[in-house]
Amino acid sequence: MLKGALCFLTTLLIASSLNAQIRIIDAQGEHLFEKPPTKVVALNWAMAEQLIELDAPLLAVSDVAGYQEWVVQPALPEGIQDLGARAEPNLEKMARLQPDLIIVSGITKEQVARLKNIAPVLNFNTFNSDHNNPQVAIDTFRQLALLFNKSQLAEQKLSAMQQRFTELRSALTTAYQGKLPKVSTVRFANTASVYIYGDNSMSQYALKQLGIKPALDIATTQWGLVQKRVLELSKIQTGSVLYFEPFNEYPQLQASRLWQAMPIVRNNKVAAVPATWTYGGAMSLKYLAEAMATSLLTLAPNATEQNPVKNASNEAVQ
Amino acid sequence: MILRYSVTSIAILLFSTFYLLYDNTLSSALQWQLISGKTPELFTEFIFLFATLPRLAMALMVGAVLGLVGSLLQQITRNPLLSPLTLGTSAGAWLALIIISIAVPSLAPDLKAIVVMIGSMLAMGLVLLIAGFRELAGLRVILAGMAVNILLGAITSAIIILRDQYAKNLFIWGAGDLAQNDWQWMIWLAPKLIIAVVILAIAPRVLQLLRLGQSGARSLGLATTPVLIVLFAAALWLMSATITAVGIISFIGLIAPNIARLLGANNARDQLYYSTLLGALLLLLADFVARIASNLTIDIIPSGTATAIIGAPMLIYLAMRGSRAEDQMQISQNTVLRSQLTLSKWLGIIGIAVFALIVAMFLNNDGVSWRWNIPSDFEIATRTPRILIALAAGICMAVAGTVLQRLINNPLASPDLLGVSAGATAAIVISSLLTGQSLFVLNPLIALTGSAVMLAILVLLTRAKQFSGGTVLLLGISLTAMVEALVQFVLAKGSQDVYNMLSWLAGSTYNTELTQSLWLFAASILIMVLSLISARSLTLLNLSTDIAAARGLKVSLTTNLLLALVALSCALVTASLGPIAFIGLLAPHMAQLMGARKVKSQLLLSAALGGVILILADWLGRNILFPSQVAAGTLAAALGGGYFVILLLKAKVSRHSFY
Repeated sequence: MLKGALCFLTTLLIASSLNAQIRIIDAQGEHLFEKPPTKVVALNWAMAEQLIELDAPLLAVSDVAGYQEWVVQPALPEGIQDLGARAEPNLEKMARLQPDLIIVSGITKEQVARLKNIAPVLNFNTFNSDHNNPQVAIDTFRQLALLFNKSQLAEQKLSAMQQRFTELRSALTTAYQGKLPKVSTVRFANTASVYIYGDNSMSQYALKQLGIKPALDIATTQWGLVQKRVLELSKIQTGSVLYFEPFNEYPQLQASRLWQAMPIVRNNKVAAVPATWTYGGAMSLKYLAEAMATSLLTLAPNATEQNPVKNASNEAVQ
Repeated sequence: MILRYSVTSIAILLFSTFYLLYDNTLSSALQWQLISGKTPELFTEFIFLFATLPRLAMALMVGAVLGLVGSLLQQITRNPLLSPLTLGTSAGAWLALIIISIAVPSLAPDLKAIVVMIGSMLAMGLVLLIAGFRELAGLRVILAGMAVNILLGAITSAIIILRDQYAKNLFIWGAGDLAQNDWQWMIWLAPKLIIAVVILAIAPRVLQLLRLGQSGARSLGLATTPVLIVLFAAALWLMSATITAVGIISFIGLIAPNIARLLGANNARDQLYYSTLLGALLLLLADFVARIASNLTIDIIPSGTATAIIGAPMLIYLAMRGSRAEDQMQISQNTVLRSQLTLSKWLGIIGIAVFALIVAMFLNNDGVSWRWNIPSDFEIATRTPRILIALAAGICMAVAGTVLQRLINNPLASPDLLGVSAGATAAIVISSLLTGQSLFVLNPLIALTGSAVMLAILVLLTRAKQFSGGTVLLLGISLTAMVEALVQFVLAKGSQDVYNMLSWLAGSTYNTELTQSLWLFAASILIMVLSLISARSLTLLNLSTDIAAARGLKVSLTTNLLLALVALSCALVTASLGPIAFIGLLAPHMAQLMGARKVKSQLLLSAALGGVILILADWLGRNILFPSQVAAGTLAAALGGGYFVILLLKAKVSRHSFY
């Protein structure tokens, strides 16, 4: 029985490879490609990031300056073309570049129809409240790899990422002597309000891979975060908080007595994470995990003496 | 009077106590110990001492200042519906904050506060400069404030769209938030408000004299101009300081003085003092509501959102029963127009329209240089719907503006200024928030409902009290402010698709489909024809309703139909490409300046002008920052605001005021 099924599957695979067609499924359904596209534009940073990681032939992306400032990793290839703001990528410039594929996410059917006049369009689901955002990012990564005939590279990168998770996890476990803390990640809006990342966020997924549970329960939302008062963080008694930079008002926040009185601050359980994009693709999970693990190591019990971050916050408390 | 003051004070004390006890396990005895110097130990004690208590103090202080400034400005301008925010302060502060946050993100908060304050003061200074210090009591200052608000607002939204990641965190400030973590902001703000004491001491006598009119006061030996400048400067300082500390909190400064009058505050001193007290009570209540609402939902409800939601119905209620006697502003149509509408002018307009079409299609910036070229098939296919919808939207807004201006006999009535477009915007934003649908796929019916509701409110108000145009205008501005507060709240939620919403709010032709543009074009022609058919009724209604009735016109039916036409135009435009500001005001006015005196010629000419302006704005927006694009609505508002400022300045020089 099993053998029969396997046999059937193999035949199917051979049949499809004989057709030499690549089957890709996006939000709109199934798309067939004869060969991997060679001139691709991405209208969204997460998609651009996925393509760069796959060494795909990326020609142009929306808001190059914004990408370099907010996404940072992986770096955009030299000479990439700028298509203007993300909300309104320039169609005329796009058409002049004569791409053979446009990759987007979360746009309306009408917008897809218009882009199809320029080139075939793949519209992926990325951030949505009714699915698991990080898992979808990984699935999309595999789909794109299939399209560009880079499946091997993709699997290699994914397993390297798993490998990295394991390394980071064991480094953290050693540093925390086997007792990993609960951690929540946040982005400050100002000194009084904060966006807290929850279950459906890339950062919380990356932490989960490191064996870390969230310190706060946050409802599942489309982008994986909710806006709360900074006071909300006082509910964390034993866990830690990582905040993403840039946050220029941090000195002011540190100087406020309410902040100083919070359990996380009194116990020195707050650390900064250098600017990392929290709405990215599969590989952004790795960058997130690395950046967050580095920050968490500075909070580890045995890192007290050598840790400048911690000393700084100690001074602020006094 | 003593009763009124003591009841209000007791209410403040009572609600302050509730405010402190809410969401807090500490007994009032323990709270009292903490206030009198007990060192806090438990975290709840810290919350009480460094979050709840400073927030309460901030609400009372800021509320009092808003009440004071509101009453002061309303008494100076003798305009009961003037809000301090109408005078450009918030627009200036907002623009300054956006620019400084993007240009120098790492700037220390103290320096940032100074820049924001300067921005706010510059904007209001500009308003005063345009208005002229001698005419602070008139409508001029409000017009100037409105023009500066729109101009600065357009620049701000253009910057925000281009740098949305940075701007995202600033929306909470824009929505007005009183939350505190310590006494830092109190310590920053309190000394800056000392000047309020001086106002409370010297202003009442000056204001009492001013009631005789500026010339009357002058004859009694009051050097009005310098005194007014000093009072205005003080008010400006207070507003700028509070805006910098807590962001934009609307309605308190508008409502407090009105309630004070309603409850019997007659003389200048009474109004000023009682409004100050009421301001404190009102903001305390609104912030209490915001705190409770934030606890009940998963998101933060900023204080400014609560004041807007509570404030708007109160404002409408107040306006309904407000007395006409205090409404001093009258606007009359300008009759000193010398220019004639000749055939050559018509030909000139047609020539310009053709030229605009050619430019929009053939001249473009490819990132290296601006050049004329023959567009490819694809370029024709992308540009055509955008040009067509710009033309159609221009026609719709211009016709709506002309009809509305003639109908309520007010050359300043613009559908977007009266909150009709804002109604459509609010309906779309709210339903998108509730259903999670993209703004681009929402039903035009929703927009229509929103603008019809707004229009109905305005019509009811105008009918009930036969308000002067100025009052209607201010009411419209206030309703628009409420919508803006709601939009700020939605934007502050921090999702990544904020930038889509921003580009929609800017009024962009980017997402236009050909069929959609054809539909709107057909609708615009229909609206044009309907308005031309009703030209005679409009002329009659414009003269007077009595004459119209005498000539056998069904006045109320015709008026309602024409108003429905206005609402329809605004709703269609807003639903197809987002809110388009200023064309409805600008085009009819320009047409009149060019000599279109009859209704028919004004309708035709303003439609042509509206279409041309929007086509050119769209073309410029597509090319000026290539490959990025600036929305047509944003550019039209910037151009219109600029034009309006120049117009006001020119009118000031030549004394041929146009209102």
